[in-house]
Amino acid sequence: MGEKKNDILQGTLVLLVLRTLASSKRMHGYAITARIHQVSEDLLRVGEGSLYPALHRMEQEGWIKAEWGKTEKNREARFYSLTALGRKRLQQEEESWRRLTEGVARVIRYA
Amino acid sequence: MAWIRQIRNFFRPDGLQRDLHRELAFHVAERAEELRQSGMSEPEADRAAHRQFGNLTAQIERTRDMDIPEHLEAMLRNLRLSVRSLAKAPGFSATVILTLALGIGANSAVFSAIDAVLLRPLPFPNGDALLLITQAQRKNPEPNVAPVRLEDWNHMNSTLLGITGYYAQDSSELSGELPEKLKCEFVAPRFLQVLGVSPALGRDFAPQEEHDGGPTAALISDRLWRRRFNASPDVLTKALRFGKTSYAIIGVMPPSFHFPDRDADVWVISAPDYPFARSRELTWFTAIGRLKPAVTLAQARADLNTVQADLARQFPKPDADISPRVELLKESTVGGAERSLWILFGSVSLLLLIACTNIAALLMSRATGRQQEIAVRFSLGATRASVAAVQLAEVFVLALAGAALGLLVAMGASTVFRSLASDLPRIDEIALNWHIVLYCLACALVTTLLSGIIPALRSTRRSLSQSLAQAGRSQVSGRNPLQLTLVAAQVALAVALLGGAGLLLRSFQELGRVYPGFDPKHILTLHVSTTWAETGDQPGSKQRTDRILEGLRSLPGVQSAASTAFLPGVPNAYELDMTTAEGRAESEPKIRALARFVTPSYFATLSIPLLAGEMCRDGAGQPLAMVNRTFADRYLNGSAAIGHHLLAAGNSYIPPVAIDGIVGDAREAGLDREPQPTVYWCNNGLQPGTFFLVRTHGDPAALTEAVRHKLHELEPLRSVYDITPLSAHISDAYAENRLRTILLACFALTAVSLASIGLYGTLSYLVSLRRREVALRLALGALRNQVVGQFLGVGLRTAALGCAAGLVLAAGFARLLSGMLFGVSPTDSLTIAGVLTVVLAVSAAASLIPAVRAARVEPMQALREE
Repeated sequence: MGEKKNDILQGTLVLLVLRTLASSKRMHGYAITARIHQVSEDLLRVGEGSLYPALHRMEQEGWIKAEWGKTEKNREARFYSLTALGRKRLQQEEESWRRLTEGVARVIRYA
Repeated sequence: MAWIRQIRNFFRPDGLQRDLHRELAFHVAERAEELRQSGMSEPEADRAAHRQFGNLTAQIERTRDMDIPEHLEAMLRNLRLSVRSLAKAPGFSATVILTLALGIGANSAVFSAIDAVLLRPLPFPNGDALLLITQAQRKNPEPNVAPVRLEDWNHMNSTLLGITGYYAQDSSELSGELPEKLKCEFVAPRFLQVLGVSPALGRDFAPQEEHDGGPTAALISDRLWRRRFNASPDVLTKALRFGKTSYAIIGVMPPSFHFPDRDADVWVISAPDYPFARSRELTWFTAIGRLKPAVTLAQARADLNTVQADLARQFPKPDADISPRVELLKESTVGGAERSLWILFGSVSLLLLIACTNIAALLMSRATGRQQEIAVRFSLGATRASVAAVQLAEVFVLALAGAALGLLVAMGASTVFRSLASDLPRIDEIALNWHIVLYCLACALVTTLLSGIIPALRSTRRSLSQSLAQAGRSQVSGRNPLQLTLVAAQVALAVALLGGAGLLLRSFQELGRVYPGFDPKHILTLHVSTTWAETGDQPGSKQRTDRILEGLRSLPGVQSAASTAFLPGVPNAYELDMTTAEGRAESEPKIRALARFVTPSYFATLSIPLLAGEMCRDGAGQPLAMVNRTFADRYLNGSAAIGHHLLAAGNSYIPPVAIDGIVGDAREAGLDREPQPTVYWCNNGLQPGTFFLVRTHGDPAALTEAVRHKLHELEPLRSVYDITPLSAHISDAYAENRLRTILLACFALTAVSLASIGLYGTLSYLVSLRRREVALRLALGALRNQVVGQFLGVGLRTAALGCAAGLVLAAGFARLLSGMLFGVSPTDSLTIAGVLTVVLAVSAAASLIPAVRAARVEPMQALREE
């Protein structure tokens, strides 16, 4: 499942998606990439190749739920939103991300 | 709960695919739109969006993997693959499926009997809480309980929901044109409450109907309702008449209700407050109780013992001598059938094991033929586990097919069970249900693992498969000890089964050969209906017996006639403790003897010889008795016994008698039991259940109609029923024995044929493997006889090895059977010799065919194939 080489990236992707969904009621996949792209001011770019498998896996885990709906342009799209379980997960992901960056920052600073 | 959604997706693959396509296509469209807005032309934007997204189909595939359970899909793929490859080998598949259908079918059939008889609760709500309560008087088990004591136990105990009781009587029902014999169950109050059953139509007995002087009411069986009343609901306005009493029909029981007898027709109340029921000495109810929830058997026992201790203080005589005995009703119902069933189950499990071994050997041969296919799979990057899984899936497909066929076999088998042993307890409860289906599935799974694992692991050993893939075509000779070992194991198991079956068959044969001390041939037995109430008039009931016997004797073709309370040769051990009026020294053995109640003509009718003294006569004033030789020799110094007076200790029913003569020993209590000390009371009172015996010149069954007519003439108000030759009664008494013998013999024969098929198959395979080697040797001048001898030798050596191991197993099996054998020792040399002869002869035949085929190889042709 997925490319092994971007394991960390995949983990990060979960965090990014959960965080993005937390800030909005519901979003479709394209909107999620666009949003991450926009908020990170083009620093982060989500590859389509990993987005959809990740979304579907998260759905199976029960962190997010999906439903079909219409976009403002009246197109059929699959919208994702955060579940209670997903909110809890987001906290854990944020916590572990914070520890990771802090650790890496310390190593860069003091090693 | 990811897996639930995954499994749901698994079952809607097309819908899932469509949804994924829609979702991803939307993404591409959005991207194209954005690009267009930033100034690209439409085709350019589309192309760019698609390029950026990558291969849509591959993306869908990858996303889809998240949505379905991977293992399930792989399994399904394997199964599909298996069905395809099995369809290409129909001969192999059919052999395996049939073998398994036999193995699993026989196994499930016996399991269905075990399930119905031993595992399932009795067919009453919470049937496992039902108890059988009997009483022992001075340690002598006495099955029946006095009505008053039953009522005392019922209201004094604290651990039971209720106690009730019953006794049966065949009664003559007089409301129709002719008297009809009906099986009447006289029940104590609370009968249906304790059993937890309600009538299907009408109502239970009302409280006032359960007392003396109350209205008389009857419940009838579904069978009687259909037969006599055409299943009409206005049966509730009808009545039955027994003797002078009319019973209003108040209800019809459900069709499944057959308690306490399978042929019960009518249930009426036997009120505990009838004047004649008030004695604490008179016992007639078989008592059953129901445990309160969460009460254990041990607690109920302790409780009833306390209650009885109280009664002993209140009524020292006779309650001080009495102790209650409590057991689960189910255990007493099932009785001795348990051991037979487990032995049969063990045998069919061995049979299934043989089938598995057989299939394992077949699979190994097949796998060797597929080495190249396996090697190709490996070279394409398959893992060992996945290659082994493919093979296991194949076996599983076969096992499932076998189990499905086996289920059909099991369904048919319940019919066989019923016809072979209709007396087996609970036999009519054997039916197909989901237990059996699940069991068949479990069998399929177990056989898959048992027969599939070793071949799957062996054929996927990488080094082996690679080397064989290269050497396959030029191989000269290979040793296949594992396959031959498997064949030897089959032979061993078959020998064990055949040994057991042989011992049972020999016992059966011995049982037919033994002279029981009486002549059971040309005897017709029958019942004439009467009631317990009529037994109050002793002289009247004696006259009636005499009149009936006179009538029977007057028929042409009848040699003599007699009556008896128990049939000879049919197990019924009614034993009594006795003393003599003359007194006995302490050192002399206590007298305990089988008690029989017969008319004096009994001995002549059954050809039991008079050895000493006189034949007792009726109406000689003082009651007389005869004893058998064993009794006289064991207790009273042989012929000195004559003139002694016998007293039945603590039994007021049985009057003291003088011993008038000594007769020859007869196997009264069963053909398989040595004659026991026996006392015959020469008493000819007619009682419910009394058997009349008629010795005929010719075929006893031919007299049936004549007997019926004559008795209808003599006793128009009584019904005559159960007119059956004595030999049929005796044979029915050994139905369980017959069932187990016939079934075990069938299983053993199947086992031997399976083992010989295994031997034949493996040897044929070896021959085909070594065709070129044989051809080469023949070309170099070897004699065909030598080739035959060589392969025959392999087969016979394998069989001999199996026989040796099988004899050890057979010895163990024989030990298990030892209680069921009659007249043969568990190490009977004739049986062993017979088994070895059969197995070796069959093995030789099975080996000879492939051996001869090997010798017929045309050297040039076989060598050119290279």
